[in-house]
Amino acid sequence: MKTTDVPLATRTVVAAATAALAAPASSAASPAVAELIANLKSPDDKVRGPAWQHAGPSGAPAVKPLSEVMTDPDFEIARAARRALWKIVRHAGRPNAAAEAQAVATQLIALLPTAPTAVRRELLWMLSEIGGDDAVPPVATLLANADVREDARCALERIPGAKAVAALKQAMATAPEEFKYALAHSLRVRGETVAGYPSQKLVPTKPTRVTAVPGS
Amino acid sequence: MTRKHPTMARRAFLQRTGAAALGTGLLGLPQIVPARVLGAAGTPGANSRLTMGHIGIGGMGNGHLGYMLARQSRGEVNVAALCDADERRLAAALKSAGGEAKTYRDYRALLERKDLDAVVIATPDHWHAVQTVHACQSGKHVYVEKPACCTIEEGKAMVRAAKENKVAVQVGSQGRSQREAHKAHLYIANGMLGRIHKVTCWHYASPADNRPVPDSEPPPELDWDLWLGPLRWRPYNARYCHGTFRWIMESGGGQIRDRGAHVMSNALLFMNADHTGPVTVEAKGTVPTRGLWDSAIDMEVTYQFKNPDWTLVWAQPGEPVPYFDRDKQKREGIREGYGAVYHGEKDKLVVWVGDGQVYTELKAVNFQKPPGGVDVPQSPRFDHHADWFEGIKTGRKTIMNIEAGAATSFLCILGNLSLVLGRKLQWDPVRQEIVGDEQTRRKMSRPQRYPYTL
Repeated sequence: MKTTDVPLATRTVVAAATAALAAPASSAASPAVAELIANLKSPDDKVRGPAWQHAGPSGAPAVKPLSEVMTDPDFEIARAARRALWKIVRHAGRPNAAAEAQAVATQLIALLPTAPTAVRRELLWMLSEIGGDDAVPPVATLLANADVREDARCALERIPGAKAVAALKQAMATAPEEFKYALAHSLRVRGETVAGYPSQKLVPTKPTRVTAVPGS
Repeated sequence: MTRKHPTMARRAFLQRTGAAALGTGLLGLPQIVPARVLGAAGTPGANSRLTMGHIGIGGMGNGHLGYMLARQSRGEVNVAALCDADERRLAAALKSAGGEAKTYRDYRALLERKDLDAVVIATPDHWHAVQTVHACQSGKHVYVEKPACCTIEEGKAMVRAAKENKVAVQVGSQGRSQREAHKAHLYIANGMLGRIHKVTCWHYASPADNRPVPDSEPPPELDWDLWLGPLRWRPYNARYCHGTFRWIMESGGGQIRDRGAHVMSNALLFMNADHTGPVTVEAKGTVPTRGLWDSAIDMEVTYQFKNPDWTLVWAQPGEPVPYFDRDKQKREGIREGYGAVYHGEKDKLVVWVGDGQVYTELKAVNFQKPPGGVDVPQSPRFDHHADWFEGIKTGRKTIMNIEAGAATSFLCILGNLSLVLGRKLQWDPVRQEIVGDEQTRRKMSRPQRYPYTL
């Protein structure tokens, strides 16, 4: 199937998603978003697949509802919701759509404090692509969370601007000693000079149990 | 060539005392020494054996190991180190190698060895750049499987590392070294097609994951953390590991990164375009509706080059061209599932396959370069590994050097980026960067999980 050869059911989804873009972020239960969610929850991948593949224009109003489906016990449905959200992020990040990207990023940021770990990881990587200065404080907060601190560090390494660098520097003061090496790496990637905490990238840590049998 | 760690005094001493003493261990030194010890500064002696390490020994890595073991049996190399994150594969490779080589799970321990001259890297794609850069930084020559890299910045880092450390890097797009690839190149370079305005590639579609399974615990023999390496952490899934990584966008990236790194590598070589790139890239395609695999089933990517102007099209499935000689095809097992057509002003030329097999039309096969005609590079004995050895020993550029490898990978990466982002991309081929698209610019690099970093 080519993207230009979209079935009618899918076109309906796209139209609904486009309508949802116009809705304010608070109307998470708008008919368009509700239809998107319903299609994503379909047991039929011929319905579910096109729904996530064409979710891009759904925009900010669909972010929170999708994040809730990302923990669905059916891993195919959860995956479809995750991919739908990524479609939204990629669509919103296109050139000359700064307001749309900002609206989506705002919704992603709002979910960060309470989302489950697996969802948080996705949110952090999404913000690494479209997040700006306002994403930095909530992302930096998660540098103190052992489960997602590595994803938060990566997001800050990628988000441009002095504020992200400042957040990494600030974390160096309070982070656990073993995590400071990773933070120092990110700062060096950003062109900063860091005293101490030399790179551990060439330090072997994983010995093998496979050895030659003498005389073999 | 000079090396990062030339051991001049030791080398001179060893040359005076002779290799025979080394062989008997009379000096109390290891019996395996790097070939460079006996050669000129940083360069193995002409008749010396290279001491090899293998990082990643399943799939293609197993093939490379077999090749090197055959060379070892002829006294041409020493296979001294084997490394894999999967201990079952490691044990099997050790058995093949005859128990002489030392084994490693962690490639960083292998790179610490000073006696290794060179490494063959055949890990999943997401490891290629990090391991190549680290190997270069430890002064080792590198043969790395294709595609060279997963991001633009990885490719640039590989080029820098090879240059700064003056080591030979060969990327495993071995189609460039094949006999009929050389013939096709010679035919095109001598103007037999006239000015080429378009190259159209075809390749059969990628598979969809029709047996998706939930995430699970990794098998006991696999170090999942090490296998993932630079990638963001995710749980193990039986549909995302050896071999199947090819169909995951963040690692293997589908057919365009697998066979595209062969077919488009040849296109860049034949078009004399290793040091340039497209100005726009636009992809469309279809990805699976279910399952973990997210690379395109079918896709079409159009690359527009400028000065000279030509168009490169990667198409799955595109328009396959049947091979012209059915008897030969049957006899030699010639595949025709992928290839490229070179469209010139005067004529066109078909080149089938593009990797370990390359076949072209008889008019090119039978072509003889006219007096004063243009010559083109040729690998010794049409052997891609031999070309690498030649590069190591002489310092000349290998036929699929890292600049060419990165340029080819960039085509694959940009095609997938355009597909994933759903938009046409503008590319500056001189600065090698995305123009006018902040999100895509961010995706020129990908933060790596510590400590598996460039």
